[in-house]
Amino acid sequence: MNAGRTNPLWYGVTLGMVMLASFALAGRGIGASGAFAVTGGRLLAAAGVGTGDTAPPALVERLPGDVDPWDDWLVFEVLGVFIGGAIAARVAGSRPVSEAVRAAPERQLRTFAGGTLMGLGARLAWGCTSGLALTGGALLATGAWIFIPIAFGAAILVTRLARQGARHA
Amino acid sequence: MLEARETAIALGTGVAFGAILQRAGLGDSRVIRGQLNGTDYTVVLVMFGAICTAMLGVLWADALGWMSWRTLAMPPTDLVAQALGAIVFGGGFGIAALCPGTACVAAASGRRDGLSAVAGVFVGTIATPLVWPAFAGAILPAPDEGRRLTADLGLPAWGVATIIVALATVGAMLARRASGSRDGGAWWQPRRLEIAGLTLAMALAVAGAGPRGGTSSLTGLAAAIEREEDHVEPIALARWIHDGKQGLRIIDLRDGLDDSTYIIPGASPHSLQELTKLEFSPDELVVLYSDGGAHAAQGWVLLQMRGVTNARVLHDGMAGWEDEVLSPVAPPATDTAAAARFRPVRELSLWFGGRPLAAGIADAFRDPSEPRGRRRRRTC
Repeated sequence: MNAGRTNPLWYGVTLGMVMLASFALAGRGIGASGAFAVTGGRLLAAAGVGTGDTAPPALVERLPGDVDPWDDWLVFEVLGVFIGGAIAARVAGSRPVSEAVRAAPERQLRTFAGGTLMGLGARLAWGCTSGLALTGGALLATGAWIFIPIAFGAAILVTRLARQGARHA
Repeated sequence: MLEARETAIALGTGVAFGAILQRAGLGDSRVIRGQLNGTDYTVVLVMFGAICTAMLGVLWADALGWMSWRTLAMPPTDLVAQALGAIVFGGGFGIAALCPGTACVAAASGRRDGLSAVAGVFVGTIATPLVWPAFAGAILPAPDEGRRLTADLGLPAWGVATIIVALATVGAMLARRASGSRDGGAWWQPRRLEIAGLTLAMALAVAGAGPRGGTSSLTGLAAAIEREEDHVEPIALARWIHDGKQGLRIIDLRDGLDDSTYIIPGASPHSLQELTKLEFSPDELVVLYSDGGAHAAQGWVLLQMRGVTNARVLHDGMAGWEDEVLSPVAPPATDTAAAARFRPVRELSLWFGGRPLAAGIADAFRDPSEPRGRRRRRTC
């Protein structure tokens, strides 16, 4: 909310309009981790691991092995997220890529570990901050409104603990 | 491959989603870290702005009969699993300072931390079966179908929407206070956008929208019937029964039932008259069926009029159940993909005491004058 910067609420309103258009045109909202579940589930099924006939139905539903990723709406939507993010970054030109790519290996290890936990947590919770929190939240899904405060609470707690740890180190 | 129109919508939605996240600065983990440290409120403002806009848009579109609330795909509900998942997810979110969506944007912007987060999300997803036993005891075998705050809190849609917009407004005020922004007045003074949101939410009380009052509008009801969104396919119902889906209540509306009549396992017989007096709890999912479907469709309308909106009609009624669950026809063995898809159907059929038919056997009994392919009755 710095002076001269667009109020983030307006980006939210614009994103809400995009979600609304998606509801009207496709009957569904946005998502992210679901695309990973479809591609990952297919990979596991091809390898004959984890989600076969003997796997618990609740796990198979979360990691479907019988859905062709090229038949899945979310896979294309996430491809679009990559394209849209890349175009916007290039158009903005505010941060040259060569400068942006410099991230310390330790930071990359942390984001990889964090990503792993998010992938697992999203499967348990039936979604992430996009499909569950944003889409489910807009549709008044009870699960979304359980997820939002707990996920943010846990994230804030971990951040504080990490900060305290760094201070004592 | 997805149809061209669907592909275009999916790609377009994704492009807009990714571009907005990038422009809002959410492809930069420092912005998200700022939110988690309480020094930058961009994440919460974008999230609540999006949720409130889409929520009010859907509720108003439903009230005006432009879009039916119940047609929209909802995340399933398994509250304990979702709470546990939120803890694990939140832990990862705190460590990475990126979520799966923003990680994709960060990666697309050329950030290596985005790439490593995306790789991590993929690895965490495919590692789920490894850690599943640790969580399995707390996870429902079959999740509830999209429970909503309106039913769980016993509040009308406008009331829930007003609470959410009010929370978002308070969040925006606190963000102004924390950042020292005086743009547009003192931090505690609601801005025009916030006042508009609150007004639109409260005005829904007059329009009567949402899951409790939603399809009471005739246009909404007509749209729901036209789109067959009130139906459940026999195989889906069979799976719900097999998986012990919570809150499932099946009602057989056929006339002249006696002890020798086959009824769907777990169903209870009732007449249409009785249907108007039965008590239903908000977390129940009611499935109605009759011989073909006409009676069940009439029952569905009666339930809507009573405000019991979480109800479905079994597609093609008992005839559909017999065709698709008790006597499903296997695809030709040469079609390996279809045969693989048929395997769980066959298992379900056997579980219900059905007799799946091989393709050749079904053909032998087929009337040659009938077109090939699955016979579908559209009785309601």
